[in-house]
Amino acid sequence: MKKTGLFVLGFILFLGPFSIAMAQQPTICAIHPFTGRFAFAGIEGSVAMQDVVDMANEAGGINGKKIQYYWADGEYKDDVAIAAFKRLYAQHTPQIMFGQSTGMTKALGPEIKDRYKVLYSAYTMTSEAANPKENPYLFIAAPTYTEQVGVLLKYIAKEKPGANVAFFYSDTEFGREPILAGREMCKKLGLNLVAEEVSQVGGVDISTQVLDMKAKKVGYCIFHGYVSNPIAAVIKQSKDYGLNAKFMGTFWSTELQLLKELGPLADEYVGVSAYSFYYMEENPMIKKIRDWTKKKYPKVEYRSQSYMEVFITTHLFVESFKRADKMKGGITGDNLVKALQSIKNFDVGGLMPPVTIKNNSIPVGRVYRGNSKTMRFDPISDWIRLD
Amino acid sequence: MRCGDFKENYIKDEEIFPSRFVKFWLALFFIFLIIFPFIANAYMLYITNMIGFAVIGAIGLNLLTGFTGQISLGHAAFIGVGAYTSAILITRYGVSFWLSIPLAGLVSALAGLVIGIPSLRVKGLYLCIATLAAQFIFGFIFVHWESMTKGITGIHIPPPMIGSFKFDTEKNFYWITLVFVVLGVGYARNLVRSKMGRAFVAIRDRDLAAEIMGINLFRYKLTAFAISSFYAGVSGALWVSFLKVVIPEHFPFMLCIQYLAMVIVGGLGSVIGSIFGAIFMTLVPELLNVLSDVVRSYTPGMGKLIIPFKQVVFGFLIVSFLIFEPRGLAELWNRIKKFFTLWPFSY
Repeated sequence: MKKTGLFVLGFILFLGPFSIAMAQQPTICAIHPFTGRFAFAGIEGSVAMQDVVDMANEAGGINGKKIQYYWADGEYKDDVAIAAFKRLYAQHTPQIMFGQSTGMTKALGPEIKDRYKVLYSAYTMTSEAANPKENPYLFIAAPTYTEQVGVLLKYIAKEKPGANVAFFYSDTEFGREPILAGREMCKKLGLNLVAEEVSQVGGVDISTQVLDMKAKKVGYCIFHGYVSNPIAAVIKQSKDYGLNAKFMGTFWSTELQLLKELGPLADEYVGVSAYSFYYMEENPMIKKIRDWTKKKYPKVEYRSQSYMEVFITTHLFVESFKRADKMKGGITGDNLVKALQSIKNFDVGGLMPPVTIKNNSIPVGRVYRGNSKTMRFDPISDWIRLD
Repeated sequence: MRCGDFKENYIKDEEIFPSRFVKFWLALFFIFLIIFPFIANAYMLYITNMIGFAVIGAIGLNLLTGFTGQISLGHAAFIGVGAYTSAILITRYGVSFWLSIPLAGLVSALAGLVIGIPSLRVKGLYLCIATLAAQFIFGFIFVHWESMTKGITGIHIPPPMIGSFKFDTEKNFYWITLVFVVLGVGYARNLVRSKMGRAFVAIRDRDLAAEIMGINLFRYKLTAFAISSFYAGVSGALWVSFLKVVIPEHFPFMLCIQYLAMVIVGGLGSVIGSIFGAIFMTLVPELLNVLSDVVRSYTPGMGKLIIPFKQVVFGFLIVSFLIFEPRGLAELWNRIKKFFTLWPFSY
């Protein structure tokens, strides 16, 4: 009897949410990688999205309508994330969705275009999400991975023309994404791509790759597809083996955690990001985020670049809601896309330079160098527009 | 009152539908399966389709591991081979989806035959490692044979069609999944009671004795690999046509472990065990997701604790099943059936 009761309770809980009819309101649903190996970004991102929604609702919502926000854990597994997408869509019929990965974005792209017609962004900077012809509903609030590698290669070409370059990337879809375009770019910029090293993500033995780079006299090594490991290990071992190269990385590895792991070698590392850091208080938006964090989460001392990425994305979602609400037909996926694409020179308080959406992305980036004394990233370039 | 279920000959003992009760409940279950897409929403149908693909794949692995005793860690690779074969045939050569499915199965079966060759010389953990090679070899091919697989970009696949009717939604695709699941289960159920099925079991129980009895190990072990891979290929082809895209990351090593977990939790050497295992491994994490969402909505701010906890619960459930019922969910089902068969004198 007890077992039957439990079964019935489970069934009701499973079916219950589907029967709740929701009034149609501006709604955002998100799948955050709250667990799994991308959880560092998912936990911060979920807070960022909640913060922007709360800030917007406190300021009166979308022309008086409160924004609804629902999220689920995608575990950084595509099948789980796709199921969560469908579950949230069935429950809440949102106009905006936020996904957890490149794989999920690629898998859902065709269906979002043909069926769901929701404005969509994700924890990804894949070129596929910045292609309005193929995927009009997808966008990224950053430059693509290919563009980020392009920023670094241009920086190298300017600093040392004809330098020996190596790509060091993870054996994942995320890792391989900009490599093909990177090879072409090296040719165009007159750089010698002398090595391509591939490794698994995480704590792996990378001595073979380091020795290979030494043999090929690599001058600049660009990492992509990692967060911290094995970047710190590669840099440390390179020093041990006498490889005198400069090391660089793309967005997800331009984070303070990596500098802590590098310790005194932090000065050796250069990264690219589209956003200001939490400690750059001179920017009004960063100041606003800091004040909000102090008020709501007094124990929190730092907000990562993942937080900034989701914060700016949600900020643009809110702006798109506001613009779409004034359009004929109100808040629909199609109107949201039009609203997003109409954003030009939109001031975001220095979190990044004034935003102009181009090809459903924001092709702007900045090069930062690690500082072993302050354990922070210092900008070594101005904002570079990539269009 | 008649109590119990008495068989008077072997033919009766091997019947698929042994009694009127079984026929009645199965008919009722089929009626439910036909009504289901009309009462379920897109999410529930998505999960049901995923269960269907998992059932087909799990039956394939159970035929190899559970019935023939050949442990394989290359199942995800065979699923991938089928998926890519179907995607390439449809998008590159204009082959119809309906023809691409059996062809995907056949190409996977061929891959299974090749990978299965070491099974003639090695067994147990050694065979495990040999089949693991398939995972890495095919994984490499999916990524690097860019002219055919489009590498990391993947292949977008159009939805299957009959005339102008598109199977582009969860509801429409459900019918395709249902047909293939019924065919897959039906064939496996018949196979295991045939000469070949009994040969598989004999090889699993003691291959030396089986050979002395006249069972051709070379033939039957490779056949088991081929059939298992055929199922995997069909499962993969259906899965990616449903998703409308195939990328190399759809077939990680963890997928092999997931399928092994399905057949172990469901019950090794049991067709119905494969079904239960596939349902358990697909549905339970989703139920836990739904439950954790419900709990989270009543305990704001506790998401950080509740969300990871669901994985602990899932792990605990798997371990509990293995401790309390090592022969899997199929055995649990058998005990429930026996209870009712002997009712009111059950013991």
